[in-house]
Amino acid sequence: MRLLVVEDEPRIAEIIRTALERAEFVVDTVRLRADAREALANTPYDAAILDLGLPDGDGLELLKRLRPAGIRIPILILTARDAVEHRVLGLDAGADDYLVKPFAMSELIARTKALLRRPGGALGATLGAGNVVFDTIGRDVSVAGVPLQLPRRESAILEHLLRRQGRVVPKSVLEEKLYGIDEELESNAVPVHVHHLRRKLQDARASAEIHTVRGVGYLLAETKG
Amino acid sequence: MSFAGLRSLQLRLALRLAILYIAATAIAVGAFVYQAYDTAGSLNDRELGLRAEDLARAIVSDSSGKPRLDLPSKLAAAYAAAPEDDMFAIRDASGRLVAASPPEFGERVANWPAAKAEPSYFRLTDLSSEDVQGLSIALRTAAGPMWISVARTDGSNALIHSLLREFVSDVLWVSPLFMLATLAIGIFVIRNGLKPVREISRMAASIGPNTTSVRLPERNLPSEIRPLVGSVNRALGRLEQGFAVQREFTANAAHELRTPLAIITSALETMRGNGELDKLRADVARMNRLVDQLLRVARLDAVGLEFDTVDLNTIAASVVAAMAPLAIGQRRTLAFVGADQPVEVKANAHALEDALRNLIENAIAHAPAGTEVTVTVDDAGRIEVADRGGGVLPQDRANIFKRFWRGAGEKKEGAGLGLAIVAEIMRAHGGSVAVTDNPGGGARFILSFSALPTAEPKSAARCTRGDPV
Repeated sequence: MRLLVVEDEPRIAEIIRTALERAEFVVDTVRLRADAREALANTPYDAAILDLGLPDGDGLELLKRLRPAGIRIPILILTARDAVEHRVLGLDAGADDYLVKPFAMSELIARTKALLRRPGGALGATLGAGNVVFDTIGRDVSVAGVPLQLPRRESAILEHLLRRQGRVVPKSVLEEKLYGIDEELESNAVPVHVHHLRRKLQDARASAEIHTVRGVGYLLAETKG
Repeated sequence: MSFAGLRSLQLRLALRLAILYIAATAIAVGAFVYQAYDTAGSLNDRELGLRAEDLARAIVSDSSGKPRLDLPSKLAAAYAAAPEDDMFAIRDASGRLVAASPPEFGERVANWPAAKAEPSYFRLTDLSSEDVQGLSIALRTAAGPMWISVARTDGSNALIHSLLREFVSDVLWVSPLFMLATLAIGIFVIRNGLKPVREISRMAASIGPNTTSVRLPERNLPSEIRPLVGSVNRALGRLEQGFAVQREFTANAAHELRTPLAIITSALETMRGNGELDKLRADVARMNRLVDQLLRVARLDAVGLEFDTVDLNTIAASVVAAMAPLAIGQRRTLAFVGADQPVEVKANAHALEDALRNLIENAIAHAPAGTEVTVTVDDAGRIEVADRGGGVLPQDRANIFKRFWRGAGEKKEGAGLGLAIVAEIMRAHGGSVAVTDNPGGGARFILSFSALPTAEPKSAARCTRGDPV
């Protein structure tokens, strides 16, 4: 899978490239906005990582021109913490995700993979965390290769947690997902389903677990060592 | 006038003014009394002169050529009525007495030297019970030149004297009242005149490190004070510039440090190594935090905050959601307990998020693994962050919000800026941060929004700074 990294700081570009290559991506790096546009026009990249502060102009401008030009690949933007409003502008301009500098390489790789897993993304229809794999087409779940049977509502919750893995999914969002399935929803439906789902994943010795952030929502993450 | 207590310009001016008025009044009264006596005296002299002339007209030569006084009957009656008070004596050119009333006066005058054409005044103290004033003058008469002396007792001036005495005592009476009135008017006038000065003092008192853009108004000021205010304003300008340079430097330095730090951080992350490498990573992580916080402090100092109406529930929930992965990564759980209703306050959402993030980071760092850090919003406009760590010793509670302060046994990561940032953010919001014991163990930090922030910090806020990407 081929990625384009647009980053003007050569050392950071080099480190990002090293990390991504270790994750078995093919990586090209460019420094300038103009070079980025040319590369994207000529090479079928699967995703791009774009720093917003570039020597020949704002990465936002580049972003705004890509979508009208028919380039639909997932784009992850890198932005400085002291320019938080940029992340909103970036998402509005067509970015799919953002990371605030300084960030951990592991997170960059995880986010990149998540982007590629989205519908239309290069990783296709398969979501995964640890040894948990979710096929969004067949809606089949397997843990360490062993199929796991899940009721429809639990699999809907799992899918959503997997799509946003490593981040908190508000309870209200999960409730909305369940409304699509079940018109009459008990007030404690989500906690009950999450409870069952968590139990089943544990029983299947999954290396990913669902954490509760009481009062806010749930978070799915790979189990650490 | 050098009493140590008389520092007040107002009082000093009023007192001096009062003294000036008293002196002026005393001089005026003195001059008036003197003038009155003088006028009375000259009236007396003039009357004596007229009497002498009347007498001169009444002197005739008899058939033998000897001079003789032939007073009209009215005058004669008048002189006869009070011979002790009104006296006269007439001598001829050789000094021989022609006529006198009373005779004792004539005897006295007879020994005097010749009178001249110019009136000569005299005063006798031993002739009668009262003092006697008089004049001697040489006048031409029908019987040739004569020396005429007329005199009267002082008692006949009694009316004038008593009038003057009454006047002086009245003036003395009125003086203290007059002085008090002057003092009151003086204080009132001076107070009014100094009102603009008091107003600028009030404004100047509000100037702090975060409001260096305030300038004192120079309009409507007394011209004596305007140069002082102008100088103060110029000094404030230089001060503001100095502050700006300082902040700019801190912000730039922190910002410039981030790129190399990011490089080191990422490089360390991609290296495969041993335990030493992990320690190095922790060191660099700490440095990242420090630089990040320095930058936050610099931004907080540099740009004043703009306030909107925000819901504490929304903000706290979003920060909890953002921080939860960090907490879970460190094997702590994070929980949010919101108020039932939206809790709206005037606040800057970004700053408030920063403050809460710092408190949560702090709580996660101090909480034992496996415990919960709880963020609570209540209806009274408070956000609480409670942990199950070691708590904060009572003697440390005042200090933990100071910049770069570290507790005695503290060896945790962090620069000692996090809580100082929280305190500063809350100050900017007109609120406060406090720490207490968490019932059941641990620390409980409380952000309180006591009052809506005034518009005052806003005026200093609009110094925009290009946000580096």
